[in-house]
Amino acid sequence: MPVVIELAPGAAENGLVTMLADLLRQNLEDKPHKQADFAKLEGRVAIVAEDAAVALTLEFQRGKLVLHDGIVGIPDVTVRAPSDDVMAMSLVELTSKRALPDPRGETMKKVWEGMRSGRIHVYGALLHAPLMLRLTRVMSVN
Amino acid sequence: MAHTFPSADWTAAYKDAVNGNAAYREAGKSWTHGAVAFVVEKDAALGLEKDAALILDVHGGECRAARWVERAVAEAEAPFVIVGKYDRWKDVITGKEDPIKSMMQNKLRLVKGHLPTVIRYVESSRQLVKSAANVDSHWLA
Repeated sequence: MPVVIELAPGAAENGLVTMLADLLRQNLEDKPHKQADFAKLEGRVAIVAEDAAVALTLEFQRGKLVLHDGIVGIPDVTVRAPSDDVMAMSLVELTSKRALPDPRGETMKKVWEGMRSGRIHVYGALLHAPLMLRLTRVMSVN
Repeated sequence: MAHTFPSADWTAAYKDAVNGNAAYREAGKSWTHGAVAFVVEKDAALGLEKDAALILDVHGGECRAARWVERAVAEAEAPFVIVGKYDRWKDVITGKEDPIKSMMQNKLRLVKGHLPTVIRYVESSRQLVKSAANVDSHWLA
């Protein structure tokens, strides 16, 4: 099944949108085994890079992704974090066996520390754990 | 002596600044992915009549060479090309703006290159740009 990644009208002016679209496209090309996770993704994830005053919405439709500028619709999960931490989410280490986020990894430790200290806020992740897990796998360059 | 940004003169001084940055040497020591080009877009008001670029031949934490070239040359030769307007480059070089944040805000754009690789080397990229702060620069505006 081909991977479809599209930008909503006007979204190309948002640098974070173009970065994440390129990242996901290239990551899925480099690591075709991640396409199975991509095909199952369904829901909306909003990401806000607070210090950059940039926000986007990832609208997953089982094999198709539309990226929107700003927060569009009602997100299932919302991530609010500084731009450095948003980038770090793409570096989350995955375990070799089941490709789960590796709690021993340097990036995961930084993310947990950010959540504990209140620097990173993730809303809705527990209610939508499969969505977050698949998104983490698909976004991770590891 | 101050070097006018952008110019061949400034580019040569930038090479020395990169090689003098210990943080870049450490962060970039495993970089083997080729040259990086920074394109400054034309701005007639500043006397920049066409897009031009500096190509940094970076490898293993060292800048082996740096050249001031036309944009087309940079896009043909460098595996990674980042484009921005003069004032955007000035903001990141002087430390007023962070390069990664500037990319998120579309002030700087990666127009060529493998983004997952850039993300793996995000600190290296940041230090590469930060090195420019050590160049004694003369600004056109």
